[in-house]
Amino acid sequence: MRSPMRALAPLSVVFILLTGCGADTEPAAPAPASAGPVALTNCGTPVTIAKPPQRAVTMNQSATEIMLALGLQDRMIGTAYLDDQVLPDYAAAYAKVPVLAKEYPSKEKLLEAEPDFVYASFNSAFSDEGVGDRADWQNLGVGTYISPAGCPKDTRPEKLAIDDVFGEIREVAAVFGVPERAETLTTAQRDRIAKAAANVKAAKVLWWDGGSDAPSVGACCGGPAMIMTAAGVTNAFADLDGSWGDTSWETVTERNPDVIVLIDATWDPADKKRAFLEKHATLKDLPAVKAKKYVVIPFSSTSAGVRNVLAVEALAGALR
Amino acid sequence: MLAAGLVLSVGAAVTVGPADLSMGTVWSVVAAHTGLAESTVPLLRDHIVWELRLPRVIAAAVVGAGLAVVGAVLQTVTRNPLADPYLLGVSSGASLGAVGVIVLGLGAGVAALAGGAFLGALAAFALVLLIAGWRGTLRPTRVVLAGVAIAQLCAALTSFVIIWAADPHATQSITFWLSGSMARADWTALAWAGVALGVALVVILWHARALNAFAFGEEAAAALGIAVGRVRWVLLVVAALLTAVLVAVSGAIGFVGLILPHAARFVTGPDHRRLLPVVALAGAIFLIWVDTAARTVFEPRELPAGVLTAVIGVPAFVILLSRGRDAAR
Repeated sequence: MRSPMRALAPLSVVFILLTGCGADTEPAAPAPASAGPVALTNCGTPVTIAKPPQRAVTMNQSATEIMLALGLQDRMIGTAYLDDQVLPDYAAAYAKVPVLAKEYPSKEKLLEAEPDFVYASFNSAFSDEGVGDRADWQNLGVGTYISPAGCPKDTRPEKLAIDDVFGEIREVAAVFGVPERAETLTTAQRDRIAKAAANVKAAKVLWWDGGSDAPSVGACCGGPAMIMTAAGVTNAFADLDGSWGDTSWETVTERNPDVIVLIDATWDPADKKRAFLEKHATLKDLPAVKAKKYVVIPFSSTSAGVRNVLAVEALAGALR
Repeated sequence: MLAAGLVLSVGAAVTVGPADLSMGTVWSVVAAHTGLAESTVPLLRDHIVWELRLPRVIAAAVVGAGLAVVGAVLQTVTRNPLADPYLLGVSSGASLGAVGVIVLGLGAGVAALAGGAFLGALAAFALVLLIAGWRGTLRPTRVVLAGVAIAQLCAALTSFVIIWAADPHATQSITFWLSGSMARADWTALAWAGVALGVALVVILWHARALNAFAFGEEAAAALGIAVGRVRWVLLVVAALLTAVLVAVSGAIGFVGLILPHAARFVTGPDHRRLLPVVALAGAIFLIWVDTAARTVFEPRELPAGVLTAVIGVPAFVILLSRGRDAAR
């Protein structure tokens, strides 16, 4: 059964798998002898990891970068679905890990990689558009973890805070038996945020994620709100439910923000957003637009992960 | 009476919105722009009224009127009570065009989107005409079937393009667009829609008597001296062109073009010389209020108007239906 399937599989994959195993020459981080089973509740699902995973697959940018930030690239056998280029600090480590798919891999593709742990930033990774139901993977003995910020709505933190992100980093580090690395990483990040947010001027911020008919803006309780809170600024749409919400330009005009965050994404670049604002019959006269009070933040910095600190620094830096 | 209702609706809807503006503010802005008074209102508030609300309210009236009239015409011409403005494949063609523009990155701007939608609508309609009118006259059944087939094809291609190429993040703006919304209406869009509606109304009203004859069937119409084939071509083309412009402005807003003609017939009877003006005004007033609800009910959140048309329209229609039955008894 096994060999004909291998023969049918794309040659490139076989090649990557072989080199992936063969190139494992760097000294693997020694798992602490004390690393026993780790039990945690993730998105309301009990997850037990008997021993630190050796064949992890990550999906989505944040999950991949948290793993790389923890120096766990030698435990990774595959990644998938970036929104942006990997941070320069981790580019060398990332280059050694095979990319299974541009977006989510199919279930079959992931099975072929034979992972022992699958870590994703968004619940959608374990849906039909992704690799299929999480429970199926657990039943196969494959550990799973979803970023708490990306859990289904009923098990997501009600109001996402930067501590939830640090909590995620700690849990992942615990699963891999390297808790001390999480402490180093989160302490450094916490210090950077505290430094950035010191002496920030009070400002009302419009977080414009996308959409030109009904602008989609940062709302009360998701990544955007978390970053605005950490930077010590006021969210102009803190009264909208959810992480993002559709509003109207009329409401934006009435609330008259001091600063506008333009989210930069390949599918909706900040340049286009700026051009739209400056051409729009009404919005061109907003004081923030006239004075070009923009802060450009890449979309990849807004989902919970190690990049949030970059967004906080960008936002706070513009308001000092 | 309906005309007065329309003027009142525009006047009232302009004063309602997520921004808290007094009626006095709103009317002094309108007075300032129409040269009746000096403006005393701060610039941003002036913009809210003159650039955001007024064109949108009037555009809602134009789109509502257009969709309702096109629906009434198509129901008669195709002798199909289920006909609506999107019967001719126009809306699904427009969706495909708009999605194509977004996904191919030809521009996310309003003009690019509307342009893609318009071209898609025209292409779909041309295909329908080609299929239905191939070697022969445009028989109603063939038009309906060709329209349904092309609509299915375009819908499948739209799903394909979204799943294949679009980033999940881009689908959010696509979904909002496909649901139908007046949010992108500005003076330019309004000018396009207004001219299209004006021209189409003239042509359609010109054929009001012919439409009455159509209601009795083609033979009857022919016997009354109407060039059935030619009139049908003219009306179908005018209906499709107007719908293409409206869809480009507002996305596919359902319900208005299907149900309002029936509702209007309860009131006016089948004579198109009365029915058409009434259905146009009713459509205009209906969409103004639906759009006002879409902008304000869940403020500061905005809903696509297309989501609300049926939610608000169906109960109203059920009431009309039951009254109509009582009257017929």
